[in-house]
Amino acid sequence: MTLLAVTRLELRRLFVRPLGWIIAALALAELGWRFALLLQIFLLNQIRLAALPDGPGYTDLVAVRMLSSFMTGSPLPFGLIELALLLVPLLTMTTLASERNAGTLPLLFASGLSAARILLGKYLAVLIWLALWLVLALAIPVYLAHGATLDWGKLAAATLGTFLTLALLGAIGVACSAFASHPAVAAVAALMVGLALYCINLGAQLAGVNSGFLNWLAMSTHQENLLRGLVSSADIVWFLLAIAVALALGTQRLAAERERG
Amino acid sequence: MNAPKPASPPVLQLEQVVRHRAGRPAVRDVSLSLEAGQVLGLLGVNGAGKSTTLALIAGALRPDSGAIRLQGQDFLEHPERAGRAIGWLPEGAPLWPELTVREHLDAHGRLRGLNGTDLDRARDATLERLELKDLGDRLAGVLSQGQRQRLGLACALLHRPALLVLDEPANALDPVQVVALRGLLRELAANGTAVILSTHQLTEVTAVCDRVAILHEGTLRYDAPLRADGHAALEKTFFDIAMAGRAQAA
Repeated sequence: MTLLAVTRLELRRLFVRPLGWIIAALALAELGWRFALLLQIFLLNQIRLAALPDGPGYTDLVAVRMLSSFMTGSPLPFGLIELALLLVPLLTMTTLASERNAGTLPLLFASGLSAARILLGKYLAVLIWLALWLVLALAIPVYLAHGATLDWGKLAAATLGTFLTLALLGAIGVACSAFASHPAVAAVAALMVGLALYCINLGAQLAGVNSGFLNWLAMSTHQENLLRGLVSSADIVWFLLAIAVALALGTQRLAAERERG
Repeated sequence: MNAPKPASPPVLQLEQVVRHRAGRPAVRDVSLSLEAGQVLGLLGVNGAGKSTTLALIAGALRPDSGAIRLQGQDFLEHPERAGRAIGWLPEGAPLWPELTVREHLDAHGRLRGLNGTDLDRARDATLERLELKDLGDRLAGVLSQGQRQRLGLACALLHRPALLVLDEPANALDPVQVVALRGLLRELAANGTAVILSTHQLTEVTAVCDRVAILHEGTLRYDAPLRADGHAALEKTFFDIAMAGRAQAA
């Protein structure tokens, strides 16, 4: 299947370039730091929390908070999702924009692959890379699972929410790379679109409005439910829809490039 | 009595192909055909539409109108089949700088449907044929221009295409490599591969081609077998077409 040939080619390019490794290493180092701080806070409050009926445990205060800082409420280093908002655009910026710059994009067109297959092949490679990143990040809190009581269901829901967020940021990044003539432009565009989608409802929330179209449109609305352990098909469908829209726009741009040259 | 064997369709057939680029016609009503084993030289001044025509034939661009048939089948209806039947070396031999020579061949092979032992065999044979074996593990980003050109050619040849489309294949090659390239093209043609190549070097055309086509301002002005008096006649035809175009523009 030639779609997988594109995936394999893109994965190879991701693995041999130092940028991907540097991003992954720095992000994991930062997450390790965040983990140590969260663990320290948890241990300091452990006795007080143990006295509370249904009080939060290791999963709520350490494992899930590794993934996102929106619930932390303190100036700790970024969680995985906030890091991803900044770093995924750097990972995806080269997928198509650098092919265009190097003149190798026409080689992919000439292989007979449709624009959709080229884009999906690239996206699949990015998705595999992001999934590996998530597994490595999760390994840090899960490593202590033998010494703490983990709520596996809640952690699974939070992991699903994080994976869908990464998948959406990846799709936005690949789509921006399909539109941009230069990788740096693709990275900036993906960062801005990602940030806008993440907190488009900020003004509404500050005004005390917690429903309506803007809240529905915001990525954070759907992600927070999953991070709290609430798996709703409406949230999952929202993510899948947003991913499909991003990939469809990218595909359309790529197909138009082949048509127009 | 045996029925006469139906003639096989030409490897390549262009019918009134039109393509605009940046708002102006780059290729206008170009029609030509190419049989198996033929080597067609495509000539023209800069901006004549040679590279656009070759990119259309290779499937990297789509025509605005007209038809491109490959072995009798509509190219646009069977893009993947067309991709497997064509080998393309674009101008400047674009490569992925972070991949090695061997990885390039593997990637191109997989994109054209080769896998497993077929891919291994084709890759090793191509590395040997293009004298790239010693460079197999070298990154494309550090290759010399001549080595890049040979790697581009290797990628185009890897899957044994029925039609080879070469845009300035002798660029950056030294005289020894140019002679080797001519030998390779003649050998491929003798084995039934149709070859279309663009060049600015008239000597290249007279050395390897058996037919010549001249494009000017996107239109096909000349398409005929190479004459016995070769170089001098071709030079006169080429300059007549190019200078007539300039005189018209003036």
